[in-house]
Amino acid sequence: MGTVQSPSTENKKQNGNSVYRTIWRWHFYAGILFAPFLLILAITGSIYLFKPQIEQNLYQDYWVVAPNGDKLPASQQIAKAKELYPEALVTTFRPGESESRSSEVGISQKNESFTVFIDPYSGESLGTLNNEDRIMDRIEEFHGELMAGTIGDRIVELVACWAVVLIVTGLFLWYPRKKQNIFGVIIPRFNKGKKILRRDLHAVPAFWITAGMLFLIMTGLPWSGFWGNNFQSIVTNSGEGYPPSVWIGSAPASDVKTKDIAEVPWAAETLDVPISDIQGFTKLPIDDVVATANREGIVPGYTIFIPNDQEGVYTLSAFPPKAEDEATMHIDQYSGAVLADYRYDNYGVVGKIVAWGITLHKGTQFGLINQIVSLLICLGMILVVVSGFYLWMKRRPTKEMGAPKAPSITKAKIFLFVLIGLGILFPLVGLSLIFVWIVDFLVIQRIPAVKKFMNA
Amino acid sequence: MEKMKFLFTVLTACLLLSACSLSEDVAELYEKESPLKAEVTLPEFYSDDHKETIEVLLIQDGEKVNGADYVHFEIWKQDGTLHYYMEPAKEMGNGIYALSKDFKSDGLYYLKIHASNNGSIISPQMQFVVGDLSKEELEFLQSDIPVIESNNEHHH
Repeated sequence: MGTVQSPSTENKKQNGNSVYRTIWRWHFYAGILFAPFLLILAITGSIYLFKPQIEQNLYQDYWVVAPNGDKLPASQQIAKAKELYPEALVTTFRPGESESRSSEVGISQKNESFTVFIDPYSGESLGTLNNEDRIMDRIEEFHGELMAGTIGDRIVELVACWAVVLIVTGLFLWYPRKKQNIFGVIIPRFNKGKKILRRDLHAVPAFWITAGMLFLIMTGLPWSGFWGNNFQSIVTNSGEGYPPSVWIGSAPASDVKTKDIAEVPWAAETLDVPISDIQGFTKLPIDDVVATANREGIVPGYTIFIPNDQEGVYTLSAFPPKAEDEATMHIDQYSGAVLADYRYDNYGVVGKIVAWGITLHKGTQFGLINQIVSLLICLGMILVVVSGFYLWMKRRPTKEMGAPKAPSITKAKIFLFVLIGLGILFPLVGLSLIFVWIVDFLVIQRIPAVKKFMNA
Repeated sequence: MEKMKFLFTVLTACLLLSACSLSEDVAELYEKESPLKAEVTLPEFYSDDHKETIEVLLIQDGEKVNGADYVHFEIWKQDGTLHYYMEPAKEMGNGIYALSKDFKSDGLYYLKIHASNNGSIISPQMQFVVGDLSKEELEFLQSDIPVIESNNEHHH
């Protein structure tokens, strides 16, 4: 009796096996499809982490000035930039955050943006950079949208969401089924042959960095264009997120009637000038804006966005290394009144968490330690992607993909629910799942050669 | 198959429709400022021996402001020939503060009101004309030179 298994145990075991194979299959295809993108994200991320050091080195000549007496007022520094680029529109001004840091005047000319670096003591220009040429900005663009605009943004978001699926399925595959043993679980088995070592070099390091990867994904997602924007809208609307205009939403408008604004006279003769048009409010001088920033205690390193239309406001925006120093302030361009002043302390609970997530993600919150920990996670990701790919190359038969055989997903009910749950939480995953099912239904299941190749 | 198509359409539609936007009064949920607002009434200016009165109505949170912390007027001429540093305006009641001045020469002038109440500080700047503009002043107005700021350091 004891040697014969009852049919129900047999069933259970088989079922367990098919669940394992289903999850393995999903992990397998998702891995092959998204590995190249994960590699790109890990590599560009590793570089971008060190933006402060790299830019400090790259732009030394533009950034560093010798302190010499008092700084010139902002208006005079901007006037110098205007002299050099009379046709340009001045869009931003950034006072240096230290005695030895140059000021930056942002201008736009013929649809291109430039930064003019000004020595605040002499007013001399230290040089001009085309913003398109700032290499770290290009790397950020690569990291955030693969340099492909909205489509790239959605792809990165899809990759990030699917990385969550990879982590969840990966954890399931990694989870030890036999008795507890740290070897092959948290320490790779180096002496059990190549096959086992290959598996361990993928699964064990992946487990080590699971929390880190999940953290980078979850802190990166609020940036994304689809999931991120909707997430930000929901939490801002709830009163617990960023106040409006910090991330999404518009700034308040300058409160003045058009007829009360001074107009530039068009007439060539003084007699033809309608006095009432000329009389009125003029734009607040930028020196007043700088004075307001100092008075209100904005941490140096802020940028002033200069309004170029009648309703616009001066916006002071500071996103320094530490989340708790962040500030966004809107100033009426005519009266100089502070219309909104949002500091970290004014963020809702979720807003504060997201803000910390972002500075941690960028590696600025805790400086070098932060950068090193994040770099290790990125290097771990590269290792896991490469070893996963290697694992596949070594195991795959020559004429097939080498995916585990697909039992119907309906047998793995819990996994199906997890997938649907992830699909709802991350709508792009949901959409791509529907797409996969449609392709499976219409193509893979109907063409025998494809079916064999995919082992479906 | 039809079922699948239907499901797909419904899900896509849901996704697109559920893309949320911010509610209009969302700013009410966060830290709010009470910005002062100044409405200035300029008289007709003549360079004769009569004084002209400039009035400003201060409004905060929709209410007229009486007993503001301070309201100072600063007036100067664009060509640099005249500069009255800050003078306190007289409170006229009903949120109105006024200053009377006798303008003796024609030209382009600037007025800066320094006012503060209940945590809001403003410094709106206006240009006005006494009599007629000179050719130089007109050219100045038509050039793109930024308005030179009054160079006083007495910020409150």
